Amino acid sequence: MKLEIESIDIKEIQSGSKTHAQEGVLYVNLKELEELILKDARIKSVDIHLVYPGQKVRVLNLMDVIQPRCKVDKVDADFPGFIGKMQIAGSGRTRSLQNVAVLVSNPCTNRKENGVLDMDGPIAEMSPYGKMNHISIAPYVAAGVEERDFENAVKAAGLKTAVYLARGADQHPASKVEVYDLDIPNLDRKSNLPRVACYYQLYSPQFDHLAISDPCFYGTDVHHLMPTVVHPNEVLDGGVVGWLAIKALDTYSIQNHGVIKELYRHHGKDLIFAGVVCAVANMEPAARVRSACMAANLVKNVLGAEGVILVKITGGMPHIDLSMAGEECEKLGVKTAIFTQPLTPVGTLSDTILFNAESLNLIITSSATFERTKISWKAEKFIGGTAETRVFCPDPIDQFAGDPVIDIEEYLLPGVLDCTGNSRVIVKEY
Amino acid sequence: MAEKLRIVHYLNQFFGQVGGEEKASTGFLVKEGPVGPGLALQKELGDRGQVVATVICGDDTFALSPAKNAEEGLKLVASHRPDLFFAGPAFAAGRYSIACGAMCKAVGAELGIPVVSGMFEEVPGMELYRKYAFICKTGNTARSMPAVIRDMVRLAMRLVSGEKEMRLLTRENLPRPDEYNYFSRNLLRNEYCEKTIAERTVEKLLAKLRGEPFESEVVPPRFEKVPPPPAVRDLEGAEIALISDGGLVPKGNPDRLARRSNLRWGAYDIEALRREYEVTHAGYFNDYVLERPDRLVPFDVMCELAEEGKIGKLHPTFFSTSGCTTVSKRCGEMGDEIGAEIKKRETIRAAILTST
Repeated sequence: MKLEIESIDIKEIQSGSKTHAQEGVLYVNLKELEELILKDARIKSVDIHLVYPGQKVRVLNLMDVIQPRCKVDKVDADFPGFIGKMQIAGSGRTRSLQNVAVLVSNPCTNRKENGVLDMDGPIAEMSPYGKMNHISIAPYVAAGVEERDFENAVKAAGLKTAVYLARGADQHPASKVEVYDLDIPNLDRKSNLPRVACYYQLYSPQFDHLAISDPCFYGTDVHHLMPTVVHPNEVLDGGVVGWLAIKALDTYSIQNHGVIKELYRHHGKDLIFAGVVCAVANMEPAARVRSACMAANLVKNVLGAEGVILVKITGGMPHIDLSMAGEECEKLGVKTAIFTQPLTPVGTLSDTILFNAESLNLIITSSATFERTKISWKAEKFIGGTAETRVFCPDPIDQFAGDPVIDIEEYLLPGVLDCTGNSRVIVKEY
Repeated sequence: MAEKLRIVHYLNQFFGQVGGEEKASTGFLVKEGPVGPGLALQKELGDRGQVVATVICGDDTFALSPAKNAEEGLKLVASHRPDLFFAGPAFAAGRYSIACGAMCKAVGAELGIPVVSGMFEEVPGMELYRKYAFICKTGNTARSMPAVIRDMVRLAMRLVSGEKEMRLLTRENLPRPDEYNYFSRNLLRNEYCEKTIAERTVEKLLAKLRGEPFESEVVPPRFEKVPPPPAVRDLEGAEIALISDGGLVPKGNPDRLARRSNLRWGAYDIEALRREYEVTHAGYFNDYVLERPDRLVPFDVMCELAEEGKIGKLHPTFFSTSGCTTVSKRCGEMGDEIGAEIKKRETIRAAILTST
């Protein structure tokens, strides 16, 4: 399977009478974009803003951040199962816009924990998204539409916007082309290089809003997913998207999956990238054991890997599934590197480990996702909410977006931490 | 030029030049200006600060009641309105390390100023008070005094500067332990590093695959095995208590148990709780328990069993905590505390623990 991602570097965005890109400037016909979003009867109206670094803007109720991308050589193939026709993602040519993203807000949300991005001040400094140009969309619910149904509509609007922008840039030359070419059935069996797989934890149902899981895999939710082998390109090219909430993870980070891209960089040089096993965190003990055994078997006996990186989703409980899968891999002789996310700010690193398995001796801190930080910064304008929008804090206190200081957990600040491994962050004892 | 920092220094009877072991029962006394190691401290500070007073206490006296003595010492320290507090260094002296630690804890908590000490890693004061003070690492003898004083002053100056640590995502004024040679204070922080998580992982896994040495970012703990207690005989006569870590609390959450990283537990009357309750726990979705708390804590079944005479009685108090991302050490402590409370009540013969 071969995927070519043709990147166009966008230096500036402006509104224009026609959506197109020219000499690094992306012009957006806001009226046309609005009409596209409003084709969905579940959406009554939508606020669209162009957002720039350095603006005193706080974007609220963020559900996702998406890199504008579209398929160049296939029809109806963008984000298959979500907005495109179901087909396998990950082959052919994809146009991708760099340095620009779609910020998807749901101003009608009832969820407590919602993403926040400032375009200036400490959050903008912390997040790569604080240094990019954005098209922000904030749809409003049409009468009679159920909450969860509307959330899916907001997500679809975000994905459609991402595709619309990338399509508009069709006349612009690419500044670089990344090739992701991995022929798994014919991987060089004679190579002496170790074969390494990625166990990718997609989802944990523990946060399910109204007890319903978020769709994130070819248009479906994965509450009961059995471990499944996928080609890494499927992950990079729209087969997997972020949840309906930002939890140190969003679609942009999945489109640029840290561990998958890193394994690609090493492929053929000092390892052979053997493929990806997708799995989820499970709510019942029997399902955990089943999932762990099956995942390890796929890693060892289907992908033929000698090493595996176990990539963790946000939460405490997912440590259990991850470590059980890791233990099963080690039992089969597959050497593991396992992610952990220390969840408390107090204690030693060793205190925070939620599993007891001697074979798991290579543990990587993929950030303390619930670390709290006090942001002292005043916005002049709010998008996706108002100065009165609640900002989540785990303490029983009320705080609002217009407060001079907000006390917020970093997993809610998109781009600051990234479960897929892109962050330059390590957890240390202080 | 900025005004000189006012500094108070704590010493034991020996370093405070009162006398040796024979004077270890000396009570508190205060000398104006620097004394003993305080002279080196003053020299190192130069005109950045002035040691205005030295508070001295005998090691034996202090060790008799560290918390009470720290209170008394605090009053003496506070009366000199310091901007900064030093204690010791204590090196390998056990009682002195506890005195330094206890003084730092009291002064830091009450006055909110930086508190700096110095200790050898094996003294009890280090482990007891590392959370509350910045304790520089020292050798086990006073020979390294000049170097330790230098470290303590350097660290203290960094703390009073208010400088933000730019390698921390939180940008707190929290210097790095390795860079300032002090014992970490039981805090965990996200820190920026050159390599991405993915880069580090692939690099280390390759080393592991090649059989080369590799360094785990976390050294996992080894948990002790807890043997189950013997079974309860004559259940028919036994009073049984219910305990849960599922976060079920009376409406309004009177003890303010946290949804995540909770450190508290509460004891609640079951009858009242079942009338008005809420759930404070971020680790599972609460809907089913909110609908019927018996799903988390089997009050209903226990009442039935009591009526049928299969158990003696359900204890009327329910012990509740919220166990979501709480470190295991604190879980163990809460277990001990709840256990002690249950023992104190005398009548309880067994407890059922339910979790999520």
